[in-house]
Order: sequence, then C-alpha cells, then structure tokens
Amino acid sequence: MRWSEITVYVTIVVALALWWVWVAASRLDRLHRKVGTSRAVLDAQLVRRATVAAELATSGVLDPVSSVLVGEAAWAALSTGTSELPADLLALVGPDDVPVGGAALLAVDRGSIESELSATLREAMDEPEEVAALRADPAGDELVGLLASSWYRVQLARRFHNEAVAQTARARRGPLVRLLRLAGHAPEPSSFEMDDAWPENLGRPGARSGSAETTPPR
Amino acid sequence: MSPRRAERPLRVGIVCPYSYDVPGGVQFHVRDLAEALIARGHEVSVLVPADDETPIPEYMTAAGRAIPVRYNGAVARMTFGPVTAARVRKWLAAGEFDVLHLHEPVTPSLGMLALWIADGPIVATFHTALIRSRPLQMAYPLVRQSLEKISARIAVSEDARRTLVEHMGGDAVVIPNGVYVDGFAQAQPDPRWTGSPERPTIAFLGRLDEARKGLPVLLEAVPRVLAEIPGARFLVAGRGETGPDEVRELLGEEAAAAVEFLGGISDDEKASLLASVDVYCGPQTGGESFGIVLVEAMSAGATVVASDLGAFSRVLDDGEAGVLFRTGDSEDLARTLVRVLRDPELRAAVSAHALEVVRQYDWATVTDQVLAVYEMVVAGRRSPVGEDPSSVRGARLLELRRGRGESR
Repeated sequence: MRWSEITVYVTIVVALALWWVWVAASRLDRLHRKVGTSRAVLDAQLVRRATVAAELATSGVLDPVSSVLVGEAAWAALSTGTSELPADLLALVGPDDVPVGGAALLAVDRGSIESELSATLREAMDEPEEVAALRADPAGDELVGLLASSWYRVQLARRFHNEAVAQTARARRGPLVRLLRLAGHAPEPSSFEMDDAWPENLGRPGARSGSAETTPPR
Repeated sequence: MSPRRAERPLRVGIVCPYSYDVPGGVQFHVRDLAEALIARGHEVSVLVPADDETPIPEYMTAAGRAIPVRYNGAVARMTFGPVTAARVRKWLAAGEFDVLHLHEPVTPSLGMLALWIADGPIVATFHTALIRSRPLQMAYPLVRQSLEKISARIAVSEDARRTLVEHMGGDAVVIPNGVYVDGFAQAQPDPRWTGSPERPTIAFLGRLDEARKGLPVLLEAVPRVLAEIPGARFLVAGRGETGPDEVRELLGEEAAAAVEFLGGISDDEKASLLASVDVYCGPQTGGESFGIVLVEAMSAGATVVASDLGAFSRVLDDGEAGVLFRTGDSEDLARTLVRVLRDPELRAAVSAHALEVVRQYDWATVTDQVLAVYEMVVAGRRSPVGEDPSSVRGARLLELRRGRGESR
C-alpha cells in the first residue's frame, strides 16, 4: 500500500468520525434545548395553576376552612415557584436559606409542594354536590373552569417534559458520547415528579357543562 | 402570564399520511380536526396525499398521487419519493406554521417525510395499536432521531399509547378521536332502515373485504340469528369486493335474503342509518385502537354489540355502554345479538348510558384538549416551524442530480 492510498483511507475514516461526532453533538444540543424549553413551560403552568388556586381561595366561593388550606398550599407553591432562581443568584438573594446543593434540594421540595397543592384541591372538591354548587355561581364557574384548564396543562407539560428528559438521558448514555464528553457542561436533566392525579369531580378539561362529565381522563 | 389571556389564532399545519382518494378513519379525523380548528378562528393547512383530480376542501393541499402499499395488515395508499419530499418542503416553507401536527409519523408516508424535513414545534398523533413490524424495527434507528424532534406526542387511545410505550419507548398523552356527537344525536331515522319488533335491523359499517373488520364473523352469525328471529335484517354498508353473490354462496339463498348491501354511503346517510337501526354490530377481530364508529353509533342512539377487544371495551365502558361478545366467535355473537334484540329494556339502559359516555369524545372537548397541547408546544418556542438543516443536504444533492439528469 502506498502512502497516498493510506492518506486517502485515513482521511475518509477521520471525516466519517468527525461527521458522527457532529451528528451526535447536534442531537444532544437539540435535546438539551428541548428539555430547557419543556421545563420552562412546565414551570409556567405550575405557577398558573397555583395562581388560579390562590384566586379560588381568596374569592370567597369556598368554605372558610378550604379557603385557608388551599390558600396556604397555593402560596407555598407560588413562593417556591418564583424563588427557583439559579444557584448563584439565590446565593446573592439569601445566603442563609440555601443549603449546600441548593438547586437539587429545591427541585425535590417543589415536587412535594405541588403535590400537596393537588391533594388539598382534591380534598376541597371532594363532593360532587360541592363542585356543582361552585359551578352554579358564575364567578365560581369561571374559576373552576380555569382550574381545570390549568391543571390539565400541568399534566400535559409534565408528561412532555419527562419525555424529553428520558430521551436526553438515553442520548447521553452512549459510551462514545460519554468518552468524548459531548454533553459538555450541560447538567444531567432530571424528571419532575409530582402527584397531579385528576380531581374526580372537576369534569373533563374542555367539557362545557358540568353535568355528566365526571369521568377522569384516562 | 395571565390565565385569562385570550387564545391567539395559530397557524397550524396538519399532515395526513393516508390518501384522500380512499377516505378512512385517519383522514376523517384530520378533516374534522381541521374544521374544528378553523371554526375557532385558527388558520389551518392540511397536506394530504391525493390525486390532482380528487376533490378536496380548499384548506387542503394535495401532495400527489398515492400508491397502494401493504402496511400493518391493511392496504393503505401512501405517497413517498423525492418529488413528494420537495412538495412537503415547499408546503412547509409557504405555511410558516406556528405548530406542525403530524399524524402517524412512523408510517412510511408523508408524516415521516415531514418530520424529517421540519424542525420546530411539532406535535404527533399516533392512531394505531400496531403490532411491531419488522421493517419498522429495521428502520427504527434511522427514525428515532427524527422522533426526538417531536415536542408532544398524542395517542388516540390507551391501546395506542401502550403500543407506543412498548414498541418505541416514551410516553404520550391520550386524547381520543373526536365525534360531532350532536350531529349524530340529531340525525333523522330513515324508514327504509328502521326496525320493528318483528323485523329488527342490525347494521355493519366498514370495508367489506378486509378480514379484520370482521364481516365474515357477522355473516357466519346470520343463520343462527335468523333461526331465533326470522325477521332480522342485516344492513351492510361500505365498499369492497364482497357482495350479494359471495354471501349467497356462503349462506345459501334464504339467509342471504336477510343481508342487504347498501354500498358506500355518504356521511348523512351513515348518521341516519345509525339513528335508524336497533343494533350496530362491530365484529372487528383486531388492529383497532379506538373504534370511532362505535362512538358514532352510540351518539346516534343505536345499541352497540361489539367484540371484546381492549379498545372496544374501553370505549364501551366495559360493557356498560354497549354489549360485548368474544372476539371472532360467531356463535357468541349470534347469542348476544338474539339476547339484545329480545330485550328492549337492556337496549334502553345501555343506550342511555352510552349517551353520557360519548360526551367526552365530542369535538368541543377534544379540540380544547388538542389546543392545550398546541399551547404547551408553542409556549416554549419563539420561532415557527422551519426546515431542519440536516435534511437540506440530501435535498440539495437530489436537486443537483435531477438538474444534471435534465441537462443531459
């Protein structure tokens, strides 16, 4: 084999390898961006749901005990939702409150706080008659409708986000991807776990009348 | 972001994989979805395989002639090839869509092409509960990267979702197929098809020569039903090679007289057929992921008797909103039909429950859910659907080659 031939082969192999690296890197980049946007969308929807819950609590359409408890849970969700700043910013805002490895701990916390909000709201809407009475009042009907639509969007956004996380994790697991550190400094994305089970009496999202639609989405 | 903000009108591009020349379930779904979205003030363009002569609604763009291909146990008409790819590219560029909604993106047709070419907010709906096909398994590594471009996946039923989870990994949200419930509920019965206690009517709808639609199962049950209820009439609607001659051969002159072939019928005729008959029979033997026609029959007030496929029992609320029989078992079907036809109270109870169940499939509900998905997908992105740079190289190469071919 002459040198010229060897050069040609080596060039081809190197070109193929570079091409593969380029494809893998752009795929990872796309997935990381996807996870970033889906997480932002999920955060926005969680805030939206908590806002509606807070409105529901302060509107006076619920009984006083439910109002207080829903309000408490909604406020807790809203304050974690907005304080979820990047670690360095958080350190500036309140250095005392941030434990070591703050971001991860906060994320765990947020899931359980949102789950608590879900549980409290479900409890407050436990009785079908209760919801029917809420719906009878125009202001209450609007709020219940908004709650249903924002709750449904939380479910959607969370599914889509966790799906994106799973795809990214799969792409990052490849041996060559790890060897070449193609993921760079992008942090390993984590799925968002919370209890967002549908309240039985809320009616299906989008259903106009609240009469027969008590079937939860399957 | 205020929860009360008004929905801004979206530019939606929908891609239908199957040909509009021979309409089927997915095509109707795409059409109805497009019309429901347009009715809410959104701008919709649908890309669909269709002959240039085939009349299509004005919001649709024909992507060229479709060729019959055997896929997933049925003959489907699909479009593919470089010319089609170029048309998809042109349609995408002209549309500047806020969101691209693909149907059946793993079917080797327009959806798969569009997914390869496009980049941006993409929603995909999976309709089939398909058994893992070997060709798909082979092509999967190639398709997977494209599939990662999908921001939101919708499955039309729990069964379609399970197929997706098991065969491709990943999850999807379940949004059922829509039905214009009120259109069927208000349909006028037609005296030609209305049954009487002595002469009850049983309807079947679907392609006649496709075995999995289950016409043979129903035909085999005909003599057994006639033995108990001699006046029963079986109304068979749909296109296909099977006709009166085959039935006469199969069942004999006497029984064949009870089977009436209506041929292909229009949407209005379908609604009034379903509103007229006593029982709608869904004897499908498999490959069904949803059963839209069952929902239509339920909306129109017919009592549904269907095989106990997973998808069907879910739609029929585990037999509360319709009566189930053992899939593929003609004897059981005959017994069930006789039982249902002789028991008006059972029919009334089942139909009443069915009318409650179908509300969740009404387009009013389904469109809201689809729009919520669009909203989630669009929220994260600033730019509309564009071209995926990695698909461009291939196209440039093709153009170059074609250019050279023409110059020769």
